[in-house]
Amino acid sequence: MAKAFKSGARGITGSLHASERKLLRELFGDVIKVLEERAAVHELPEDIDPLYALTGMRPKSADLPEPSDAAVKRLLPDASEDKAVAAEFRRLTEADLIAEKTSLLREAQLLLETEKLVLQVPAAQRFARALNDVRLVLAERLDIRDEADSERIAQLVDAAAVQSPQEYLGLVYNLVSWVQDTLMQALMNAER
Amino acid sequence: MRIMTAMPDVMTNPETLKAQDKAWRLIVWNDPVNLMSYVSYVFQSYFGFTRERAEQLMLQVHNDGFCVVRSGAREAIESDVHAMHGFGLQATMTQEA
Repeated sequence: MAKAFKSGARGITGSLHASERKLLRELFGDVIKVLEERAAVHELPEDIDPLYALTGMRPKSADLPEPSDAAVKRLLPDASEDKAVAAEFRRLTEADLIAEKTSLLREAQLLLETEKLVLQVPAAQRFARALNDVRLVLAERLDIRDEADSERIAQLVDAAAVQSPQEYLGLVYNLVSWVQDTLMQALMNAER
Repeated sequence: MRIMTAMPDVMTNPETLKAQDKAWRLIVWNDPVNLMSYVSYVFQSYFGFTRERAEQLMLQVHNDGFCVVRSGAREAIESDVHAMHGFGLQATMTQEA
């Protein structure tokens, strides 16, 4: 069973059981896959000025479509309620956001190669962001829309009572939430 | 150094300038997923708010559904929105009326 993160002289430490680490690595991998699928949408048509491909810029005529998967939409949300502002923002920045997130998720996967985690503050902050992205995607799959849904899922704590894949997913969500929350408490204590 | 004897003729018309000058607001929205501890920590670490101020803003997001965290020039608010999305928070920008 996982041990809560603590802030101490060596940094922020915590430990996770082998099965929990395996599960978390898979979850990070799932989010990476979701983001990579979205990144495929970014490919520019072949007949376009090669300068665009070279600079990674997108021409004004190549606005990105809104994500069709709700989980992707949650990871890469609209930047404005003004459609034109949101579309321009997405065209200019979404590729960077995908790259940032993917790199944090890969880093988190690597961290979980060892049982005991010893993190300095910046690494702990990056780990917290990766955990958060996992929770955003799981919440979307669990259809968590409001505080009541969130309360309902939080009740699922007994693995023996789980009867459906959806309930199992709820348990997983609660585990990731717990890990992230203890990490946040440790980070706040580290900042004092 | 070159001495300027006259204003260069590059002034945009004053009306356009006024519209561009209007500040943009950074709005963070409530959602049932992000942990209160996490949102509060992001406000503290990214914006440099005190713990009290960060918790106050986090509670405002939680209770009111959203909160205007700050306002400023478009570029600054754009970079805040990008950062908030990086943290996984629901954030949008809007120009002041």
